Amino acid sequence: MRQVEEKPSPACTSAKSLSNYLWSDHPDENKWADCTHCGMCLESCPTYEQTGQEQHSPRGRVHLIKSVAEGKLEVNTQFMDPVYACLDCRACTTACPANVDVGGLIEEARGQIRQAMPLTGWKGSVSKLFLKGLFPHPNRLNSLGNVLKFYQKSGMQKVVRKSKLINIMPDHLVEMESIMPKVDTSVRKKYKNENVIKSTQPTKNEVALLTGCVMDVMFSDINESTINVLTRNGSDVSIPKNQTCCGALHVHAGDRDTGRKLAKQNIEAFESSEKVIVNAAGCGCMLQEYGELFREVEPEWHDRAVAFSKKVEDVSKYLHDTGYKKPKAALNKRITYHDACHLAHGQGVRREPRNILLDIPGVDMVHMPNADRCCGSAGIYNITNPEMAGDVLESKMKNVPDDVDMISMGNPGCMLQMAIGVQKYGRNQKIVHTVQLLDWAYQKEDGEVADNGI
Amino acid sequence: MAFKGIKTKDRHIQNLAGIVDGSRSILYHKEDLIAYDCDGFTIHKHLPKAVVFPKNTEEVAEIVKYCAKHHLPFLARGAGTGLSGGAVPLNSEVVISLVRMKNLISIDLENRRAVVEPGFVNLKLTNSISDKGYYYAPDPSSQYCCTIGGNVAENAGGAHCLKYGVTTNHILGLEVVLPDGEVIELGHNGIPDAPGYDLLGLLTGSEGTLGIVTKITVRILKNPEAKKTVLAYFDRVADGSQAVSDIISAGIVPAALEMMDKTAIEGVEAAAFPVGHPKDIAAVLLIEVDGIAAGIDEQIAQILEVCKNRHVREVREAANEEERARWWANRKTGFGAMGAISPDYLVQDGVIPRSRLPEVLDRIEEISAESGLRIANIFHAGDGNLHPLVLFDARIPGQTEKAIDAGSACLQACADAGGTITGEHGVGIEKREEMRFVFKEEEITAQTNIRQVFNPDNLLNAGKLFPTPGRCGEVKKEMKEALLTQ
Repeated sequence: MRQVEEKPSPACTSAKSLSNYLWSDHPDENKWADCTHCGMCLESCPTYEQTGQEQHSPRGRVHLIKSVAEGKLEVNTQFMDPVYACLDCRACTTACPANVDVGGLIEEARGQIRQAMPLTGWKGSVSKLFLKGLFPHPNRLNSLGNVLKFYQKSGMQKVVRKSKLINIMPDHLVEMESIMPKVDTSVRKKYKNENVIKSTQPTKNEVALLTGCVMDVMFSDINESTINVLTRNGSDVSIPKNQTCCGALHVHAGDRDTGRKLAKQNIEAFESSEKVIVNAAGCGCMLQEYGELFREVEPEWHDRAVAFSKKVEDVSKYLHDTGYKKPKAALNKRITYHDACHLAHGQGVRREPRNILLDIPGVDMVHMPNADRCCGSAGIYNITNPEMAGDVLESKMKNVPDDVDMISMGNPGCMLQMAIGVQKYGRNQKIVHTVQLLDWAYQKEDGEVADNGI
Repeated sequence: MAFKGIKTKDRHIQNLAGIVDGSRSILYHKEDLIAYDCDGFTIHKHLPKAVVFPKNTEEVAEIVKYCAKHHLPFLARGAGTGLSGGAVPLNSEVVISLVRMKNLISIDLENRRAVVEPGFVNLKLTNSISDKGYYYAPDPSSQYCCTIGGNVAENAGGAHCLKYGVTTNHILGLEVVLPDGEVIELGHNGIPDAPGYDLLGLLTGSEGTLGIVTKITVRILKNPEAKKTVLAYFDRVADGSQAVSDIISAGIVPAALEMMDKTAIEGVEAAAFPVGHPKDIAAVLLIEVDGIAAGIDEQIAQILEVCKNRHVREVREAANEEERARWWANRKTGFGAMGAISPDYLVQDGVIPRSRLPEVLDRIEEISAESGLRIANIFHAGDGNLHPLVLFDARIPGQTEKAIDAGSACLQACADAGGTITGEHGVGIEKREEMRFVFKEEEITAQTNIRQVFNPDNLLNAGKLFPTPGRCGEVKKEMKEALLTQ
């Protein structure tokens, strides 16, 4: 049970309340009007698979959310549990015959819950630290990156791991510590004096890159690879200075106000860009759904948000649609591909990354059953709901073929979670981003990297 | 004894939690229970007392014994995808959810049978044996998520039942917990046609009123050697339905022979799995033939000929497996797809002699006009199993009542044409009253007498399948009143 304190209803009920939803920006009636309760979503849902309980299924959650609007339920802790146990993986949206936007409803309901019952205690502090104190502030994230770098390079990591210090961390945090990627210089820092990173080929397109927050601190090498493959294929890349965190984690957590604040900053930061390239599926999906945030609140931003969203594209889709050179050097690896939820279910991008991998000579693609099943990362879900995230990860790992060298995907959250999975279940696969593989193949073609360096 | 983690003083909840071993296997808070207040039939809702999640037959038997002893009404539920309300806890039942009993116990390819637990999902059985060249034939459209236990309760059908028969034709044995908690086995070692009364047949389709199935032995079939699928578009519904009759009269038994009308096409094309059916077409037929490879092409040629004679606008064969799969996904998600064009729908399930198709469809069109509600038709045309989908908006006062009446009128039309009121969805709550369209009072009493033998206290799933004696006209009224007070 989460620690919460039930706050009394707003003194003056907003004109836009809907029965027991007392705040504006409440769940959208039109979204649940499409649900006929047919149950086709059940088997797609990882939390239903784990529990067998319908309040933890998509149609069950939609039914609960609708019941609050009908005045049958109130926004309280019992209602909160199923709504917050959702991974927001969107697999149900793919399965639904009527395209019910369950993910959107969940996020809207969380917005109401957070206003009715602000988080307190340990969870509140952690959530405040990460969501308000850290992610919206690139500089602070970079400083954290430096601390982590120091932690790793100074030998402190070794000391912590060797000593029993690690034993006092909760299990899931120990797991996360153990797979922490090597922290490198962020691309925002590296290219801070360059307005445009010019294409190495004649320029075909100009694109702007969302560097992301976790991505640029923990996986700056992926951002580097992204820039490499874009510039190699005729795109000039700019990194707009005022860009910020996409806000996905905030919106997932129910903090829609911060979500809107970040959205507005990004909309402005990318105003002059024609194409916004994203290499993190979760961020890409959020950017494509900014319009939802301004459906009721600050509606004057709605059209701008929608126009912005249209410019956003995942790097794999962009490369696939605009064309890329097939690498000539072979990467002789057996690779399986994991569909990040927010890429496959959120953006409908499934074929493109697979085709890119198939175009790399020497790559032997191995089919992963249920490849589009959530890995349990789900933003910060693996921190807030470690037990469920662990169960979901276990079932994911059962589907990872034994005899592959690498698991490729397009989202940093999944990469961390799958790395935990590899470690926890004694596997030995390397976790890679799709653009990294393409980049390495190019580098190998240029003689810059040897096979054993990958 | 207070059970750890159970936050209620209700002793029944405490005791039931003890049987299923803990707080993770029982639900009793209103917020959780509300997810169980209905199944795929959403017109009638009622909260259960509790939902319990047993993991084996012994726990089911213990729960049932406890309920029987304390006179608590109870019922079994699978995935809750039923379309007639069979799993709705009308009497605040203890819902026994069987979804955690989802093991595939054994596969016996040599004898072509498999044993599954009731919570095992229909399609997973085919998926588990398809690499070996076998499949499980009954394929209700909800097969992606419905459980085989639920299929047994409802005697579920499906698109391919025209040639292969419904669930009852594929059940070889059952383990059943009777309403007093006794566990019995029906069907010896999965050998069909045991001597004595056909209790397997009686239990299959009894809509959860005679016992709770905890283990099922099913027949599995070898994949057909060849399969071909055809789409045919007609400008007139009458031509389409006549073509259906002609195909069967020509001596062909297709594996499936499905039809959708214009409104249904509008729905599926607006939803998640469109295939590009023309919008101005009156009817589409989806025809599949399978069997040994020799002869399939001749059957297809014959079907094309029949369609041409009935003025088909366009007819084509699936180019490949991918296209075939898309056509089926479009058809099989048809009910849920109605959500894209209407907030609510009520699906009916009448059966008529094939030859009466055109006139019954005309009558349904009249009913639609009279009620002012749109009615889409998606149906298993080959076996005369109609699914009129009455589209309505429950938020508009009076529409739900109108939809119920229109649905009932559709069933009356089927009964009048010499047919019956359900082909595969069951009677449940929805069609209790319509049982009188096809049975006399004495016939209904004869059947409730059978129920009495198994379920003497009527604690198991009471209020389903049969109208309450002597209160015929009041049941519908009750349903409507209940709606008003919800």
